Amino acid sequence: MTDKYLVEPDVNFIKEIIGLGGDTLKKCFQCATCSVACPISPDTKPFPRKEMVAASWGLKDKLVGNPDIWLCHNCGDCTTRCPRGAAPGDVLGAVRSYAVTEYAVPKAVGKAVKDPKKLPILLAVPVVIFLAVGLILKLFGVNWLNFSPHGGEIWQDHFISNYLVDSIMVPTFFGAIAVFALGLKRFLADIHANALAEGKTDKEKIAPAGFIKALLRVVPTILRHQKFNECSENSERTTPHMMVLLSFIGLFVVTTCFFLAEWVFLIDGPYSQLNPIKWLANVSGIALIIGGFLLIKNRAAKKDQVSTYWDWALVWLVLLLGLTGLLTETARLGGIAWLSYSLYAIHLVLVWSLFAYTPFSKLAHLVYRTVALTYNEYSGRQ
Amino acid sequence: MDKKYGVYICTGCGIGDALNIKALCEVPEEEGLPVQTHPFLCGKDGVELIKKDIADKGINTMVIAACSRRVNFDIFKFDGCIVDRVNLREQVVWSHPRSEFPALTEDQIDDGVHFDRLQMLAEDYLKMGMAKVEKIKLPEPYQVETFSNKILVIGGGITGISAALDAAKAGYNVTIVEKEASLGGYAAKVRKQLPDQDPYDTLALPAVESKIREIESYDNITVRTGTLVARLAGEPGNFTVTLKKPGEKIEFDVPYPLPEEMKFDENGKELDVEAQHKRFLEYNKGKVDILKFDPSGEKFGAVVLAAGWRPYKPKDDEFSHLGYGELPDVVTNHQFEEMAAKGKIITSDGREAKSVVFIQSPGKGEDDADFNYCGSVTSMVALKQAKYVREDYTDGKAYIFYQHMRTPGLLENFYKSIQQDEGIFLTKGEVIGVSKNGSGMIVEADNTLLGEKMKVKADMVVLATGMVPVTVDDPVVNMAYRQGPAFRDIGLFEGYCDSNYICFPYETQRTGIYAAGAVRRSMTMEESVEDATGAALKAIQCIESVNRGVSVHPRSGDMTYPDFFFQRCTQCKRCTEECPFGALDDDEKGTPKPNPARCRRCGTCMGACPERIIGFADYNIDSVGSMVKAINVPSEDDYEEPPMRIIGFVCENDAYPAIDIAGLNRLSYSADVRFIPVRCLGSMNVIWIKDALAQGMDGAFLLGCKYGDDYQCHFIKGSELADIRMKKIGDALSSLALEDERVAQFEVAIDEYDKLPKMINDFVENVEELGPNPFKGF
Repeated sequence: MTDKYLVEPDVNFIKEIIGLGGDTLKKCFQCATCSVACPISPDTKPFPRKEMVAASWGLKDKLVGNPDIWLCHNCGDCTTRCPRGAAPGDVLGAVRSYAVTEYAVPKAVGKAVKDPKKLPILLAVPVVIFLAVGLILKLFGVNWLNFSPHGGEIWQDHFISNYLVDSIMVPTFFGAIAVFALGLKRFLADIHANALAEGKTDKEKIAPAGFIKALLRVVPTILRHQKFNECSENSERTTPHMMVLLSFIGLFVVTTCFFLAEWVFLIDGPYSQLNPIKWLANVSGIALIIGGFLLIKNRAAKKDQVSTYWDWALVWLVLLLGLTGLLTETARLGGIAWLSYSLYAIHLVLVWSLFAYTPFSKLAHLVYRTVALTYNEYSGRQ
Repeated sequence: MDKKYGVYICTGCGIGDALNIKALCEVPEEEGLPVQTHPFLCGKDGVELIKKDIADKGINTMVIAACSRRVNFDIFKFDGCIVDRVNLREQVVWSHPRSEFPALTEDQIDDGVHFDRLQMLAEDYLKMGMAKVEKIKLPEPYQVETFSNKILVIGGGITGISAALDAAKAGYNVTIVEKEASLGGYAAKVRKQLPDQDPYDTLALPAVESKIREIESYDNITVRTGTLVARLAGEPGNFTVTLKKPGEKIEFDVPYPLPEEMKFDENGKELDVEAQHKRFLEYNKGKVDILKFDPSGEKFGAVVLAAGWRPYKPKDDEFSHLGYGELPDVVTNHQFEEMAAKGKIITSDGREAKSVVFIQSPGKGEDDADFNYCGSVTSMVALKQAKYVREDYTDGKAYIFYQHMRTPGLLENFYKSIQQDEGIFLTKGEVIGVSKNGSGMIVEADNTLLGEKMKVKADMVVLATGMVPVTVDDPVVNMAYRQGPAFRDIGLFEGYCDSNYICFPYETQRTGIYAAGAVRRSMTMEESVEDATGAALKAIQCIESVNRGVSVHPRSGDMTYPDFFFQRCTQCKRCTEECPFGALDDDEKGTPKPNPARCRRCGTCMGACPERIIGFADYNIDSVGSMVKAINVPSEDDYEEPPMRIIGFVCENDAYPAIDIAGLNRLSYSADVRFIPVRCLGSMNVIWIKDALAQGMDGAFLLGCKYGDDYQCHFIKGSELADIRMKKIGDALSSLALEDERVAQFEVAIDEYDKLPKMINDFVENVEELGPNPFKGF
C-alpha cells in the first residue's frame, strides 16, 4: 500500500486542468481570500483554497473524488476577489469537467464529447442508428420510417414512427442511466473515502435509507436554487438556470405522459392544444428557449469567466433543443410539412444526443452535484 | 572673539499672546543685554532687523527666542555669529495653554502665594540661552595633516566593482583590492543570476564580466588582485594603508588583540594589566605599534568595504535531521549552484536529479526561523535553482518548502513567473526530516498548505543555508585602531558590520569606512550593485566633508570636535574605551590621541571623562553646567508653596523632536520641567545632575533613545551607557541624603510624542510625592 501522505504531483493533470479552463491555477498564492469570499463554502475545511493548492500541485486524487468541488456553484465571487488574478471558480469548473470524464465509461466517448472536432461524428451516431434500425425493420416489413410522408395531416409519426423513436430513445435513456450508475458507484466510494481521509465525516458507511432521506431534503433546495441565490457575482444566472431545469423536468413529465398514452392507452397523437399536458409542454418549451437564450447571453457577456467548448456545447444544446422542438410544432400547426419534418429530424438527433451524452457532458452535473449535495447533507460535513 | 550680545524675541505664533513679553524682556535687560521684539522674526523684516544689528552694532552673539531650533535653522544662520535658539513656541506656549496654566490676575502678582508657571518657564529658557552663548565659542575646522581624496575599495566582487565604477564616474581615483587572483567574486561563479531588468521575470546571464571589462576603460581605477589590506591607519581623509600579498608576514601587519584564553595564567587566574600587555607584545611580535605609520603606505581618503560573504558551512550534525553530512545528495544551495554552473544536475551516483526538494527553514520543531544568515536572497535563490531543475529536465520537478517566501520589490514578478512553471511546487511547511528511500530520499513535512503532513520523493535535497559575511572570520579592514582591527561586535548583528541597521545603511562603526553588499546583510547581486552606489556616495560624502573639517555623519556639517585639556588627563582610558567609533588611540602611557576626522561628535568621551577635560567649542561641561545653574529654583522664601523644579536632559536626535511634535499637537505637560538638549545621552556627564540637585532642583531625568536589540541611538550605545552611568549615581545621591527616585531615565522613540506628557507628568508627580529637595534655598 502506498503511503497516504506521499504526494506525487501529476504534471499531466495540471496541463489538462489548464486546458479545460483552469489556466490560472498556478497564480494562486494561498491567501485564502477565495474561501472567505465564497458565500456557500462551509466554515470548516472551506473551499476553494485547498482545492487551488491541490490543483497547482497536480494532486488528481485529492480533487477528482472530492465532494467539495461539486458544492461550488461557480458563481465567481472568489474569482472577482482574488488578489492574484487567479480564478478559483474556473479552476473548480475545469476540475469538475475532468471528473465527469473520469467517471463516465467508455472513456473514448468522454474524450469525444470534449473535442469540438468530434462533434460531427457524435451527431452522426443518432442519424446512423435511426437509419439503420428503420431500414432493418423495413426489411422485416415494419414500416416505421417513411421518407415521403403522405399529405393531409402533418404528424411526425407519419415520417418517423413514434414507436421507432421510443424504441431507440428508451434504451438510450436507460443506457445513460446505466453509465451514470457505474460512474456513481465509484464516485460515491471516492467521495466517501475522501471525506473520511480529510475528517469531513464521522460516518463510516453510507446507509441507503439515510441517504435517500437526505436526497429528499436536498431536492427542494435544488429546485428553489437556494445556493445559487447566495452568490452575488453571478446572480443573474439563477433565473435562467432555474427555467431550464424546471422546463427539462416539465418536458420529462410530458414525454412520460405521452409515452404512456401511446403505449399503454394506445391513444395516438397529435394531441389537442387544449390538453393540459400540452399546455405544460408548450410552457416548458418556451421556458427552455428563453432560459437557454439568457444563459448564452450571460455567458457571452461574462468576459472575466472562462467559457470553454464544454460550457458552450451545453447551453447551445439547450437552446437548440427548445427551438427545434417548438418550431417543429409551430411548422406543423402552420402547415409547412417539409419544415416541420426537417426540424423534427434535427430535434430527434439533439434529444438522442442529450440522453446519450449526458453522462459525459457538462449536464452530468445534474447527477453528480445532486449526489454530492446529498452526500454532504447525509454525512453532516465537518 | 569679542562677544557682542543681542537678544531677539519673536512674538508671533501665539508667543506674544500667551506671555508677558515686557516682563520677559526685562530678563536680558537686567543683565544689560539689548533686546528686540518682532511679531514675525523669521519673516523678511525680522531677519533684516537682526542683520542690521550685525552690520550696525557689530552684534555677533545672539539669543533668538522664537520657535524650535529644528525649524528655520537656515533662516537664523548668520556667518561668523554664535546663535542660540530658545524654544518659546513648541516647548513653551504651544505645550502649555493658558487655559491650563493661567496668567496671574492683578492682585495675585507678588502676593507670595501665586506664581505664573508659564512665564517662569519662558524666563528660565531665556536665561539658559543667555548663559549658554556666554560659554560657547565659534568652532574652527579641523584639518588633517595630509589630505587624500582617493577611495579604497576592499573586495573585487560585483559590489566592489560597482562601487569603484560609480566613484570613478564621479571623478574620484579608486583602487580595488582583491585577495583572489581575478576580479568577479561569487558573481562570476553562478550559472545564472536573478532577473535584473523589466519585467523581472526571467533569469539573466551573469553580468559581472561586462562590468570587469568596463573597469578597463577607466584610467582612474587601479586594480590590485592577489592583495590584502595588512593595516589601515590614520583617519578619514588621511588613511595610511599597507597592502600585502596573501600569506605574507610583514612588520606592518596590524597587531591583533590578545585572545581571551591568553589573558589567564596556568591556574586560570586572570593576568594583571602589565602581564597581559607583555603577552600582547609577545603575541604580536614582529608587528609595529598602531601609532607608527608605514612610511611607504598608500594614502586614501575613504574606504568602501565590499569584502562579501562566504557560504555557510553547517557544523557536524547541525542538520542531521535533514540528512546533511549523512546522505550524499543533501547539499547546500552553494554546492548546488557550483554543480549547476558546471553542467546538468546529477546526483552523487551519477543519476539525473529530476526531483529536487529545496528546504528554506531547518525546522526541527523549534521555530520557523530560516537558516542562519539568510534573508530574502535565499528565497529567491531557491526559486532560481528550482528553475535550473526545469531547465535541465523537461520532466523535472522542483519542490520548495518554505516558512517565509520573500521576494521584495519587482522580484514579485519573478516569483509569479516561477509559480507558473508546471513542474515547480511550493508550499509553506515545516520540514521534519529527510530519510533514505531506495536510491532516492523522502522528505517529510508538517503543517503544510496541503494538509497536516506530507512526504515527497527526492533525488536531491538543497538546504537554503545563508551567506556569512567574511568579517565574521577575519577583520579584513585590519584597522590600526586601539579598539582593535575589526569592527566592534555589539552582539546584535551576527558579525554583519553595521552601525545602525535601519537608519544609516552603509555606515559602519568606523567613520570613513562604508560597507556595501553581502558584508552588510545577505543580499542579491542586483541589490549589491545598488548598495555599492550608496556606499560609494558615502565615501565621497566623507571625503568632501573631511576636506572642509566638518563631521560626516550623522551630525553632517558639524565643525566642532572634541578638545582635550591634556594637562589634567589621568590616563584612565575611559574615553578611548567608551568611544563607540574607536576614534581615540591611546599611547603607551594611556594618553588619548584624538583622531577628530574619525569622530562623530556625539560627546560620549565628554560624558565618560571623570576629569571633565573634554569638550566641544559649542557644547561642553561648562556650557551645559551654566545652563543648569541659570535655572531659577524658587524656594519657600519666594512662595508659600514653591513649584517643583525638575531638569530633563533630552537627546536631540529623537527625544527633542518628539517633544516638539507634542507641542505641535498641542499636548500639554508640566510646566515645572526644564529641558536641556544633549547631543546624545552618551555625552551626559553626571556632574550636571549633581549640580542640579545641589542647587535645590527636585528631580532630574534623562530622555533618550531606545536601546537593546532594536536600538535607535544614533551613536549606537549612548542611551545604554547613560543608563549604566545613572545606576552609579545612586552613591552620589545617598551621600547627599537624596532618594534614588529623584533621578530617572526614560526611553522614547521619535514617534512616541503622544506618550511624552504622561511620562513627564508621572515623573513630576513622583517627585512631588517625595517632597521638595531639602537643599532648596541653600
